[in-house]
Amino acid sequence: MSTPRTLPQSKEALLKSYRTRLKDDVKSMVENFEETVKLAKGEHDTQLSRMTQCEQDTYEMHVRAANMVRAGESLMKLVSDIKQYLILNDFPSVNEAIAQNSKLFRTKQTECDQKLMSLRDDISADLHDLEEEYYNSINK
Amino acid sequence: MSYSVNISVEAPIENQIQEITYDGQEIYQAPLTLSESLAKYAQKIDFSKIKTKKEPGDTSDDSKSDSDSKDSFQSNLWPWDSVRNKLRSALQEVCVLADVLAIAKDKRYMVLDPVQQEPVDTKPIVQMYARKKALAGAANVLLTGAERLKNSQNEAVQNRSNFHFELLRLRQNWRLKKVSNSIIGDLSYRTAGSKYSQPGIFEVTKAEDEEKPSSPPHSPLPGATPSVKSYSALRVTVPSELQGVAYISVLCQKDQEDLFSTNVNLLSSGPSTTNPDVHWQQKLEAAQNVLFCKELFNQLAKEAVQLQAPIPHMVVGNQIMATVLPGIQLIIGLCHSTSGDKKVPAATPAKTEHDHVLEHSLHQLLREVHHRNTHHPFPHPASGPLGPSKKRSLAGPNATDRYDLLEMTKSETLLEQIIKQAQHFFMRIRIGYVLDTIAKEVKDPLICSHWNSLNSPTQSCVKINIITHGYDVVYRTPLVIHIGEKTLKCICRDGKVMHMSYEPQELRDLIFCHINQHQILAVQSLAKIMGWQYLANSLHLGIGSVELLGNASSCILASPNGDRLIAVRCVPSQTGVQVSVAHSPRSDFFPSRLVTERKWEHLGGQFRDVRLDKMEGRNFLHKMELLMASLTSRNFLHKMELLMASLTSNS
Repeated sequence: MSTPRTLPQSKEALLKSYRTRLKDDVKSMVENFEETVKLAKGEHDTQLSRMTQCEQDTYEMHVRAANMVRAGESLMKLVSDIKQYLILNDFPSVNEAIAQNSKLFRTKQTECDQKLMSLRDDISADLHDLEEEYYNSINK
Repeated sequence: MSYSVNISVEAPIENQIQEITYDGQEIYQAPLTLSESLAKYAQKIDFSKIKTKKEPGDTSDDSKSDSDSKDSFQSNLWPWDSVRNKLRSALQEVCVLADVLAIAKDKRYMVLDPVQQEPVDTKPIVQMYARKKALAGAANVLLTGAERLKNSQNEAVQNRSNFHFELLRLRQNWRLKKVSNSIIGDLSYRTAGSKYSQPGIFEVTKAEDEEKPSSPPHSPLPGATPSVKSYSALRVTVPSELQGVAYISVLCQKDQEDLFSTNVNLLSSGPSTTNPDVHWQQKLEAAQNVLFCKELFNQLAKEAVQLQAPIPHMVVGNQIMATVLPGIQLIIGLCHSTSGDKKVPAATPAKTEHDHVLEHSLHQLLREVHHRNTHHPFPHPASGPLGPSKKRSLAGPNATDRYDLLEMTKSETLLEQIIKQAQHFFMRIRIGYVLDTIAKEVKDPLICSHWNSLNSPTQSCVKINIITHGYDVVYRTPLVIHIGEKTLKCICRDGKVMHMSYEPQELRDLIFCHINQHQILAVQSLAKIMGWQYLANSLHLGIGSVELLGNASSCILASPNGDRLIAVRCVPSQTGVQVSVAHSPRSDFFPSRLVTERKWEHLGGQFRDVRLDKMEGRNFLHKMELLMASLTSRNFLHKMELLMASLTSNS
């Protein structure tokens, strides 16, 4: 992580696109908010009649609010995308998980092996005794 | 009339006040000129209304066209009729407008004058109110949006089992990659060294069904669902050919009769996997198992076709048939059930609880192949997936000859290996059976067999001790039998190595020979302990009746002072042991015509058979011991008597 790695072209582009998406969304939020505030001031002279102007302002405000919400959801999507990207491409952590898993399984394996070995030793010793007993007995 | 006063009627000065200066003077707006007022009034006329009023024909035309359009609509003559009419009138108006503009541009016949608009007085409070309402609407939109975001955020925090956590867990165990918009996983064994071509690809999606859409309004619901059921936010789609449960069934048949069968299923404990609610881990493991079984079977089938065995292997449908030993077939089948009921392929009832060794070793063998494919011995080229084997690397320095090199290139296929294991398995069963039956049949020398616990899938070892009960210190005959795939190797007591085939009769014969030998040799060593000496010993007696099996063996023992002889003759078949006794010289001597002197009695005399079955004693050696003891003691007593007699005569 500390050493900057050279990423392939596509990954680089993807990361850049994430960055631009972030900037765009934030910008869109800010701009829309500013515009809404400006609209609320209501200081603009137009050729339109007041009522029409009011209607237009209302509509514009709604649209801008919806835009802000959209930008927010887009940011959420971006977060989820980045999470997904991190999960899928975070090879160091995956390697760590694999190493941990393999270590776990190896210890389990040795444990099982040891248990099996001791079991085998016990059983073979017992089997020897039992065989001895069986073949020496009359009842076969 | 002269008083008539001219009354001038004029409009009051109602000009609007434009401004009131500080000195109280009012500045009026200039009154409208005539032309201006004309324009103003003219502006108020709604020409379209007038037109419609004045030209009833036009309206009738309109209505007609309407009715026309209706008719056409009703009669479905031409549905675009009304559109055409509208377009036509629009074109007309545009043409008129263009004409008017063209005329007005000339400024000769028509002048366009601006008409002063009357300011519409809207109260600022209304405007304010409108703006407030607009802002409230916008705020509402924002709030609902924020609520939704908050909800989803809360859900993510509350539920640990959300999509990303699951994905992370999935990623830690399986290979995943992103292809455009979907996440594709790989469950094949290719990274572990498999070369099977079937792709084991699965798709990961977010679970969005009945539970998910209902979650935003009822936020506690998704929090409760994981506890109720193993609900996961992640869904795994496995290709249809990898769904279900698969296992390799290994079955051994002896002339159409089942000897034993192995029905193993790595995930036998797993419930019906067709259930979509099964956790993805189990689903993927099942799919991977299916893939593995398919690869294994594919490999085996390929080998079965390619291998040229004396009795060709058969591949029919999902079954491979191979002959293990004469009359015994190994049947390997692939059972794959995609439906929930897995009882259907289980065609072998009752015997399924047999050991699963062969199936397990099949799995093991394929895994070994995988391992070999990925793990090349060093040194090997860093880039290449191939490398010479360790033996091959050493072949140069060791100056290996052509024969060895050729030997190196040979490798065993999975099928060969599994057949060998099956052969060995049968050999082991047969040997065990033979040894047990012999131990049951032969009571006198005890036959103890001890199976070695250290063995390989194709080699095991059994140690046999032939001893006589109570005399195990006196003499014992140890035998070691190495059981291979189709051969037996027996290492005898004297170090001789016997090679035998898979026929159990051969081993049986060998053991009987050894029992026979054991009896003779045990008698000899017992004789040594008893102070007797053996005069002759032959393990392969050339005289006497011809035996069914091998040769009879015999020995002759002499008592300590040499006046008694015991002859033992052992026959490998079950007729047993013959024991004869001879006295020389006889204790009593009666001179006859032929034998006039006592000294001739030393030449030995007639052997008389001993009826062993009537004798006391637990077993043959015990009886022999008693016999020897009795002969010795009588002899000894006789000597003592003589000694006493001589002593009394001397005195």
